[in-house]
This record gives sequence, structure tokens and C-alpha cells, in this order.
Amino acid sequence: MEWWGWVIVALVVIVLVVVAALAVQARRRRGGVIIDGGSSRRRGSGGRR
Amino acid sequence: MRTSEITKRPVVTMAGEDVAQVKDIIYAAGGGSVGGFTLAGRGLFAGPLKEGLAWSSVSALGADAVMIRDEFVLQPTKAILEASRASGGSGANVLGSQVLSDAGLDLGVVRDVIVSVDQATGGHCDVVGYEIEASEALGTQGEKVLIPLPDTIAASGEHLMVPASAKEFVGRDLAGFGAAVDAFRAQLGGAS
Repeated sequence: MEWWGWVIVALVVIVLVVVAALAVQARRRRGGVIIDGGSSRRRGSGGRR
Repeated sequence: MRTSEITKRPVVTMAGEDVAQVKDIIYAAGGGSVGGFTLAGRGLFAGPLKEGLAWSSVSALGADAVMIRDEFVLQPTKAILEASRASGGSGANVLGSQVLSDAGLDLGVVRDVIVSVDQATGGHCDVVGYEIEASEALGTQGEKVLIPLPDTIAASGEHLMVPASAKEFVGRDLAGFGAAVDAFRAQLGGAS
């Protein structure tokens, strides 16, 4: 392969690595709603029929 | 408001410093109150932060930012999780969990959580409902609907339990949902 072929391959690899890194970071930053309770102690109003 | 509107909202000090953004919302099933938030950094390559923000340290929850006094109100995330976990917790993400009625009916899958900030009680933030992708049981399969929750919530993170009567108070938009929550809780309170 010519030297410019290797340059293109290197650039493609770099772009893929950067995209992968951004995707991993986006996944790590993705938020949710964490529930910290597994029981249903009744507090006052509300409850089962 | 929906919790999806709160995640990724910037956390800003009264001095105008943008210190973090909201990552997760933590709430305790025992009382349904929001305990706080986990945080992520603001840069493109920033990941989750080791500090979190307790609800008691929030000065204001605005449409565009969460306001805090200064960056020193941030606490280790572990401390905030343990405070909420005191009611017996799993630490699991409820998004994507299945909602079951106490009659054993699959109502749908959670896609968002609805919270309400009560100014009358000093800005207490409570979880009042779920936005679910309805199952066949609700007659609106695949449609997103809002289902109210009682004052206390039974949940494991895999399955979220709601009283069977919650089906009668399902809504489609936030505009009238507050009234539906009040009516549902009044019905539960009257029946117990």
C-alpha cells in the first residue's frame, strides 16, 4: 500500500476510537431514577384497599 | 414534572459557577420522597462524579438549572444513597421496570417518573406517578400513560407494585395529573 493509504487507515482508526470513547462516556453519564426502598411501610394517607 | 426533564440539567451555584449536571434521581420507596441526585461532570469527556447532591441542599429546582448555595454542599454519593437506603433499598434503576397491580396484572413498563415539588411543605419533592408504556391490560397497549402512586411505594427495582385501583386514575398528560393523584390518594385514604 502507498504511504497515503496508511495515513487514511490511521485517520479512520483514530476517528473510530474517538467515537467509541464518546459513546462510552455518554453511556456512563446517562441518568436514571434510582429507587432506594424495597418495602412498603405505610406512612399515613394511602394504602391498600 | 418528569424526571427526564431534570436529568442532564446543570447544577449551578449562587455565584454562577456551573459545577455539574444531574445524572440520576434517587428516591426512597418507603416514603416516595426524592433523596437527592447523583452527578456527572459538564465536559464532553467528563464521567460520573463521586459527589452527589442531597435534596435538602437544593436551593431551587428551576426550568433550566438546579441551584445550590455553593459547591461545598455536595456530599459523597455513598452518603446520599445510604440515607435513602435506610428504608431498605435495592439501588436499582426503575426505568424499564415492570409495573404490576396488587391483583397480579401487568400494567406496563416504566418509561419515566413523575415528581411533584410541594411548596406548601417547604419544597418537599415527592414521586407521585410513573409514565408507563401501557400493556394490554390498560386497553391502550403501547401508548404512554401516567399512573398515580400512593404515598408509600412498594418496589424492588425489578417489579413495581401499585394498588389495582390506580387503573381508574390513569391520565395522558401532566395538566390534570395532579388532581388525579390527589383523588387516588383520597380514595385510598378513605378506603383504609
